[in-house]
This record gives sequence, structure tokens and C-alpha cells, in this order.
Amino acid sequence: MERASDREDVQRRPRRRGLLLLAGLVAVMIVALLEVAWGSFSIPPATVAAMFWQRVTGGSTVGAWPDAWETVIFEIRLPRILLAMLVGAALAQSGAVYQGVFRNPLADPYLIGVSAGAGLGATIAIALGLPLHWEGLGAVSLFAFVGALAATAVIYVLARSGGRSSVVTLVLAGVAVGAFLSAVMTFLMFRARDAFRTVHVLGWMMGSFALASWAKVYLLAPVLAAGGGLLWAYAHRLNVLQLDDDQAQQLGVPVERTRLIVIGLATLVTSAAVSMSGVIGFVGLIVPHAVRLVWGPDHRFLLPMSVLCGAVFMVLADGLARTVLSPAELPVGVVTAFCGAPFFLYLLCRKRHVLAR
Amino acid sequence: MKKSVLLVAAALAVLLGGCVCPAQAPATGVPTSGPISVEDGVGNVITLESEAQRIISLAPNHTEILYALGLGDRVVGVTEYCNYPPEAAEKPKVGDFITIDLEQVVGLEPDLVLATTMHMAETVPALQERGIVVFVLDPQSVVAVLESIQKIGQLTGREDEAEALVADMQARIAAVQEKVQGAPRPKVFWELGPELFTAGPGSFVNDLITLAGGENVAADADSPWPQLSVEAIILKDPDVIVLADHNYGQTVEMVKERPGWEDIRAVREGNVIEIADDDIVSRPGPRLVEGLEFLARAFHPDLFE
Repeated sequence: MERASDREDVQRRPRRRGLLLLAGLVAVMIVALLEVAWGSFSIPPATVAAMFWQRVTGGSTVGAWPDAWETVIFEIRLPRILLAMLVGAALAQSGAVYQGVFRNPLADPYLIGVSAGAGLGATIAIALGLPLHWEGLGAVSLFAFVGALAATAVIYVLARSGGRSSVVTLVLAGVAVGAFLSAVMTFLMFRARDAFRTVHVLGWMMGSFALASWAKVYLLAPVLAAGGGLLWAYAHRLNVLQLDDDQAQQLGVPVERTRLIVIGLATLVTSAAVSMSGVIGFVGLIVPHAVRLVWGPDHRFLLPMSVLCGAVFMVLADGLARTVLSPAELPVGVVTAFCGAPFFLYLLCRKRHVLAR
Repeated sequence: MKKSVLLVAAALAVLLGGCVCPAQAPATGVPTSGPISVEDGVGNVITLESEAQRIISLAPNHTEILYALGLGDRVVGVTEYCNYPPEAAEKPKVGDFITIDLEQVVGLEPDLVLATTMHMAETVPALQERGIVVFVLDPQSVVAVLESIQKIGQLTGREDEAEALVADMQARIAAVQEKVQGAPRPKVFWELGPELFTAGPGSFVNDLITLAGGENVAADADSPWPQLSVEAIILKDPDVIVLADHNYGQTVEMVKERPGWEDIRAVREGNVIEIADDDIVSRPGPRLVEGLEFLARAFHPDLFE
């Protein structure tokens, strides 16, 4: 049963939660607008504002600024920021879901095969040098997506083969399959012995939004909206899953089926995100924990708030990644860990009592 | 993972570097109009409306070619490794060779971007999607370097300067050939890193070694930038070892101290060569002939007395 205090929490504070989510949404938009005006190629913020105004009103401002500036803002920076937002949101939400469904604070969206599967898929595409393109996606994205889904499916089937899947067998099967796939990937990279391909694989495994495009945004957005929305609908069942399997079953939650659906959705969302950006660590682990530390563990709030915080965090991290070493770029995963870890430790020290409970 | 990092380092050692050698920059040529079509290094025919006027170079060797053709004032962007001639380093930077900053490139409004095959997976399609003309060149032989110079000459209306430069380089190559012809070919191990990465078939370094009158011990390897085992090198018993990784810390003394290396002929006879200025042998550009002359002297000191 839900504890009395939890119930109280939910009943008394839905309005406050609504306001917090609204504030989060506003924060996402503010951060996005700031980032659009901020880049390695400097364009005065006032001009950026004028460019947006002109787009909105449709007025003519021929010659007010070079065409190249339009390309920089609307074809490079804007899709990049939106892609970072989507991927950050997806990883943070999937992280929250994985931590919930595995009842394990160390779970992240890569726990059961997504990064290894996506990495192997990407490596195969790069090593073969496939000239495949589909709707603005290259072979690397397509192979990574398929690889991530396939790896997780294999792990799930293996873990289930002894009857009911327990979270422990899932995690262990995930570790073993992940190690195997990584070995294959390293072997392929080693055999390729081609500097350009190796650099490509390495760069991909560190994650980057440097190649964001509208095509990627358009493809990713509906997948994440659908997957993320469905996961939010499962938030209450995720709360119940925090009890042990038998208790959850008694409360009318079909544990096995719920777990399959929730893991499946979170994997779909993560795989789609990873295929567009490469493997970006840390966000999926830390953002949900930070949200939980500050606002508590109720998944009905944890999931949407993780989405918003993940989006803000990733856009800020990518803003640093693309400007700190300009014109060179840092892998965004370096920034997420470098800036996120100290912040998380600060929260951890401040809120130790929450964890001790 | 570590292996791949080393491979990358080795690749960089080949492709980048620093140097100080003089280059002549003839500045002539009146811009002419009319579309120009030239086939790039990977078989794509690229068409320009007219001679390129705002050029971004994504590789140090391309930058050197542009300056050697007297096109320095048309260069609007380079990479952080483009340090030759020295004034090239003053140009706006668009990246560090591997990662290229798209918004810098687009913002500089180039009418031509010179890229390498390194950039083909990501940067080239991303730039093309945004309407920028990209020309890929990745010469992996001395002849291909000469062709690169001619192609860049065509794109910029500097055919005459390109022909003159190519003729000069060809003459110097021929002079080296004449000297080393018929002489016994020393076996050469070309060290790109202490992990024993080297240059194999299909690399311009392999071509350079051959033209300089040497025989690459890795000529039978299965890739352009292979990694050899210590045993393989001892077995091959090279007559000359070239430390192209000298700028990365390897010295003759260190090679002597490596276990098992004291028996290699090159070490015994003192034919381990430190390359102080590795840009002339690591950049497939105009100064490669200087590298060729240096190597020919190193392989055949008796012929050049």
C-alpha cells in the first residue's frame, strides 16, 4: 500500500507540482534562447533576435545581415539545440525509468545493452564505410539504432530463458552481453586499422551534437514524444514496482508484463536518442537522482521533471562543448561529467538525510 | 580502446606536424569567369561558378599548396595545425583538423572548402547539405600530390603557377631518382610511434621511401598504417630506422635501450635517424620533395657526398 505520507503528498501538492513543471518548461525555453545567441561564430544577440522576429513576422530584411548568418542560426544552431534538448530529455527520463524498474540507484539507460549494441552497430557501419542514407540519416545512425534495440532484446530473451526474469539476471546478462559486444567492436576497430575510421568510432562513442540537422530533430521528436508520454502513463505502476515483485502482484500490477513494456519503451527512447548523438554518459544516471534528491521519488513527478532538467542540462553542456575550446569541440560527454559530477556531489552532501531515510 | 587511441596518435603524427622551410609564392593571375569543373580526389566532379575567391582549408597540406600557388590572400579559414607558411597561422581557425566547427565554416562564407577523406563521414555531407562546395583531396602518393596541386590550380585559375610548381617538383624528384637508381636498397623501418605503428602499402610515406631508394619493411602489410610486432621488426632486420616520432619523444638512445633492438643492423651500425622536422615527410604537400631529398641522403649518404 502507498504510505499515508506519500498519499498526502500527492493529494495536497498537485498544484505546486504543476507550477514546478511549468517553471521547468520556462527554464528550458530561456536556456534555448540564450544558447541560440551564443556560439563560436559571433553574431550580435540583437541581430539574432531580429532574425527570429523577421521569421515570425515574415517581414523583409534583405541585406540586413549576411545569408550565412541565417544558415548559422537556423540550419546549424537551432537544430543542434533542439536535438540536444531531445536527447537530454530522453536519457534523463530513461534513466529514471531504469532506476525505478531495476530498483537500483546505479542503473542508467545503458545498463542493459543500449550503448554496447549502438556502439557495435555504429562501428560496423563505419568499418564497412556504408554509403547508406535514409531520410537524412546516415548508415551510422541506422545501424546504431538497430544494434541498440537488438542487443537489449537479446539480453531480455536470455535473462528470461530460465522462466521469470529477475532484475538480477537481466543486469548480469546485460553485463555479459555488453562485454561481448564491446570486444567485437574493439576487434573490428583494431582490424580496420584506419585512422579516419578509428577517429570516427571514438568520436561517436564520446557523443556529439556537431552533426545535428532538422532531419534528425523531425525523426527523433515523435518517437520521444510517444515513448516518453507512454512512460509517464506508467508512472504509477513504476511506483508500485518499488515494492517487491510479490507485493506488487498482489496490488494488481502484472509485474512481468509491466517490466517488459516499461523496459521496452525506455530502450526504444534511449536507442533513438543514442543513434542521433552517440553515447553520452552521466546524464541518464545523475539527472534523475538529482531530481529525486530535491523533489522526492514519486515517478509521476520524477519522470516529467527529469525530462525538463535533462533537456536544460544537456543544452547547457553542449553550449560549453561547442564554445570552450572553439573552434575545436569537446565531446559533450566530457562536459556532462565534468560539470555534472561536482554539482551532484554537492546535492548529495546537502541532502544526505534524504538518502538515509 | 587504448589501441585505438594509439592508432589515432600515430595517424596524427603522419598527417600533422610542424616545419620551417621557405616557399615561393608567385602572385599573378587575373580572375576569369565561367564555370570550372574538376574531379576531386574521390571521383566526384565538383563545379564552381567561377574561380574560388574565399577558400577554407581543412588540412595543413592543402594550406601549404594554396600558399605555394600565391593564394594566401584568398584563404579565409584554416585549421589549428596549419602553421606553414607562418602567416597561414594568422588566419581564422575553423577546427582542429578532426573536429570542424560547422558554424565557423558557414559563417566565413567560403565558396570552396578543401577537405580530406578524414572529413568525409561527417563534415563533408554536413557542409554540402548547407550549400557549401567541398573538394576532397587525400593524396597517398607523390604523383597524387602533384595532381592535387594541379587540381587546386584549376579551381583557382592558377594553372600556370601549378604547372610551374609541379615541373619544379618533378625535376627534383627525377634528380633524386637518377642518383639512387641501381644502388642497393636499404631496408627501412619507419616508426610512427613507440607502439610500432608504421607506414604500409597505399600510404604516401611508403611511396616516399621507395622513391628515396629504400625498401619499406612494412611494404607487405595489409593496411596503409599498420602496427608491427617487435619480433617482426627484429626478423626483418632493417638497415635504417627512421624515427618519425622523434617529435613525440623517441630518440636514438631510447631505441638502443629497447630489449632485443641492439641486434638490429640499423642500431648496430648507427643508422637510426631522428626526424626533427617531421612536417616535410608527414604532409602530402609541396614540401614533400624536401622530405624526399632528405631521405635519399639518409639512405644513401655515399651517393650524395
